[in-house]
Formats: sequence, structure tokens, C-alpha cells
Amino acid sequence: MDKCQFCGKPATVHMTQIVNNKTTVVRMCNECATKHGLFSKEELPFAMLSSLGEALFAGIRQNLSTQGLICSKCGCTPMSFKETGRLGCPNCYRDLKLLIDGIVDSSQKGAFHKGKKPKSQTTVEVEKILEKEGLSDSPANGNTSRRRRKNSPRSKLEELGENLSNAIKNERYEEAAKLRDEIRKLKKSEGEES
Amino acid sequence: MKDFVKKLFQASDLQHEIMPAVISSRIRLARNLSDSKFVKYACRGDLRAVADRCEKALLSYPSLKNSDVINMSDLQEYERMALVERHLCSQEFIVDTNEARLLLADDRLISVMINEEDHLRAQVFQSDLNFRGMFDKINGIDDHLSKNLDIAFDAKYGFLTSCPTNVGTGMRASVMLHLPALVITKQMNNLILAVQKLGFVVRGLFGEGSEAQGNLFQISNQQTLGLSEVDILSRLTQIIKSIIDYEMNAREIVKKERMVWLCDFMGRALGILRGCYLMTSEDAINGISLMMLASDLGYLPNALRNDLAQILMKIQSSHIQVLANKLLSDSERDIKRAEIVRDFFATVPNLRFH
Ligand SMILES: [Zn+2]
Ligand SMILES: [Zn+2]
Repeated sequence: MDKCQFCGKPATVHMTQIVNNKTTVVRMCNECATKHGLFSKEELPFAMLSSLGEALFAGIRQNLSTQGLICSKCGCTPMSFKETGRLGCPNCYRDLKLLIDGIVDSSQKGAFHKGKKPKSQTTVEVEKILEKEGLSDSPANGNTSRRRRKNSPRSKLEELGENLSNAIKNERYEEAAKLRDEIRKLKKSEGEES
Repeated sequence: MKDFVKKLFQASDLQHEIMPAVISSRIRLARNLSDSKFVKYACRGDLRAVADRCEKALLSYPSLKNSDVINMSDLQEYERMALVERHLCSQEFIVDTNEARLLLADDRLISVMINEEDHLRAQVFQSDLNFRGMFDKINGIDDHLSKNLDIAFDAKYGFLTSCPTNVGTGMRASVMLHLPALVITKQMNNLILAVQKLGFVVRGLFGEGSEAQGNLFQISNQQTLGLSEVDILSRLTQIIKSIIDYEMNAREIVKKERMVWLCDFMGRALGILRGCYLMTSEDAINGISLMMLASDLGYLPNALRNDLAQILMKIQSSHIQVLANKLLSDSERDIKRAEIVRDFFATVPNLRFH
């Protein structure tokens, strides 16, 4: 449970504030909220206060949270989104996050992407290197290297190559980059030996 | 220009495998470049740069290298409308044609809208329910694009689109269904509500809601985030299969319990199609729909279904104007439409009820 920012008791009131375009949430207990003038001084029964507070602040939060938001890249605001029904640029998803999450929440199945990821530049780069090193999965290379593997013990290079393609397949790019460097080093040293 | 436009429409005739109730299906992916403003907020110069980059990336994909790329602003209004009638581009796409380009693959089964509301909207079409094959096709294009362009993607939100209702997979899959028996038995409103509850939408192809002309409906996914592509496609397939079962059952019931009425209904419709000299598009669509049903039920040769689906395209207003190569008034169109319909149905055999 959240604690009141002023006295440390359990917080019952959450309020979103925007200062200098930054959204922060203020958490308070009822007493501190009253002290700060958010409730009238007259004491209200606790149950009533908290349900009233919840309803009130849910509304305030909703209105406050998207007010003053602006995309730093394109200048799109919740207002302009309301007018056009369209966002301005990919960065809007970062700077207008509160607005987006509200829409996503009411219209989509979930809040997180579960579909495919783009075949990223990293993969492409690593694939190119694999090809250059003669370790790619393409049938032209695959057959010969697999046949060779049966007859002779696997070289360190082949093992690394296989690990590399597995790392790429499973999108562990950092590991892939390390393996790539190792392959390069090994190739270089082999070249120097012969 | 005339020959070019003609070529566009001639080559794009979908060959239908005959599958009762299914007219065609489609998958569309929306993508954007990460370093540019979305279309509605971009200036003309930005849009041109985006279009050039997208076009180049698309044409470097082997199966798209023989595509036509059309500047939408070069076309007549009715030519643009005819592309919409073919579903090769959207209605929104032809409203603002500023740097809007349409790529059409040579088999006309793939089209890509450049600078619609998203930088890229790629579509693939097919006449049956093989979503697997369609997805592989469009996925190949998508992989190629993301290797050659910096596509806007976020780990949480997925592919970023100009409207948050498309974010995530950016995928819209739809199936066009012909459901005359469900309309006759007044089941469409129930169906629309049931499908909606599952996160999918039913739309009339011509006209709105359950009042759709020609008993033609499009069913598509509404949600794009929180589900994988495979989830969406397998759910849609399940829904479509049960709608088809539902329609087939309704057809059996109508046949069994209202046979004379059904014969009369179809017989009169064929009479009108053969004898008309002025025909509105609504009457034509409804008449052709009944003949499609007759062909599914075996009262007309089954092989006629493909031709009927093609006639359904040709009688639409903008197609008639493309054929005439000029703008026509409503009544001029009705005359031309009647001509097309009359000529076609003169060659169609009589209905044989068994
Ligand atoms: Zn406190
Ligand atoms: Zn923005």
C-alpha cells in the first residue's frame, strides 16, 4: 500500500499533478489532504469521505492527467488528437502516454504487444556477417557444413557459428554480438597461422 | 492514361474458388517510418520523401518488382473510386491525394497504400479462407520492409500507428461473406451483436448494418493490441466457420419450408435482370446476390459463381464510368448498367429447381 508523502500513514488520496510538463502523482492520507485544503475542514465520516474522494479524484485525475501534455517531437496535444483522431508521430506514444493508455484500455484486448517484432537492423547485420563467414543457414552453405560435421569433429568455429545462429533465432542480440566478435577473432588468428 | 487504367482493372479480376458464402478475404498491415511525422501532421516535402523511400523499399522486394506505382493525383475522381470499389485502396485514401501513391502487384492480389493515414498500408487478397498463406505472403513483405526501412516499433505498444486503435500488430484481417439466408430469416442483428462481443465487427459491404444491399457483409477484427497475429487469425477463422455453418443451416430451412416462395423470388429476379433497360446499382446488387445463392444451391451452374462475382464489380458506378472512359450522370449509368446486366444474363441458363 502507498504511504502518505507528508506523514507516512497509508495513503487514501492519489492526485496527478503536472508541473513543468512532468506528470507526478501525489499520495496523501485524508488528514493531510484536508490540511492542504483538498477537503472542507468539517469532518466527514471516513467511509463517505473515502468514497467521495475516490469518485472526485478519479474524475480530477482523468482530466488533469492529459491536460498540458504535448509531444516534444511534433507538438501534438490531447486537444489536437481529439480534433483529428490521429496522433502526430511515433514519439507521441511516449509523450502522450497517459492519453494513449486511456484509449488502449477502453478499446484494445490488452496493454502489451504480443505479436511479431520487426526483423530488426541488428538481425540483418548479424545475418550478413554469418553469410560472409560462410555460416549462414542458407541451403547452399548448410548442406556442406552439415555433411562435414558428420565426418570430422566439429571445429570451434562451427560450434560458435551454430551458437550464433541460435542466438539470432531467439533474438538474444547481445550474446550474438559477442559470439560474432569471437568468430572474427578466431578467423583472424587461423588466417595468421596458415 | 485510358489503356493504363483499363489494364489495372482487367488484370485484377479475382478468380474465385467456389466456396459457398465466402467471397474473398484480406489481411492489411499498417506500418510507419520511425523518423517521420505521421501523414496527417506531415508537410508535403516530408510526405514526398517518405513516399520515395517506401516506394524504393517495396520495389526492391523480388515479388513486387513488376508492380505498378500510381500517383493517385494523376487519376480522375471516378478512376480513384473504381479502385475503392475493387478494395484495392480505401475511401480515406482518395480524399487527400497529396503524395498518395498506390502500389499494385502485377497479379493485383497485393496492394500497398503509401501515405494513407499511415505511411504504409499493405494488403493481400485471396478468394478463400487461407489466412496462413496470406499471412506468410504479407509477412514476407513486412520483413523485407523492416530490413530496409526504420519502422516505428515499441516493445510495449508494438507497431506504432497514427491511430491507437491500430497499434500493436497493426493488422486488420477481414472476410467478405454472402449471407442471404441469414438476412431472409432475420438473423443478422443477433449475429452482429454476438460477433461484437467477441471483439470483431460486422459491416455491410454496400450500405450500413443489417440493411446491407446484396446480403454482403465484411467481418474483421477490432482489436490489434494484446493479441498476436496468429491469435487474431485463428479467432477470426473460427468465427467465420461458425457463421458459414449458421448460414448453411438457414439455407436448408428456407429451402425446406419456403421452396415455392424461394423459386418465385429467384425467378422474378432473373426475369428483371434479363429484361431491364434502366437499373439502379441497388437493384442490380440485390438481383445478382440472389443469382449467387441460386448458383450455390445448384439451381444455376455452380461455375457461374465466379462470373457473378465479377459482374458484381462491373456494375458499380465508377467501374461503369471507367469502362465508358468518362463521367456519366445517374440515369446514363443506369442505362449502361442495364446493358451490362442484360447482356450477361441473356447467356445465363434458366433456373432449374430440383
Ligand atoms: Zn498524511
Ligand atoms: Zn508526436
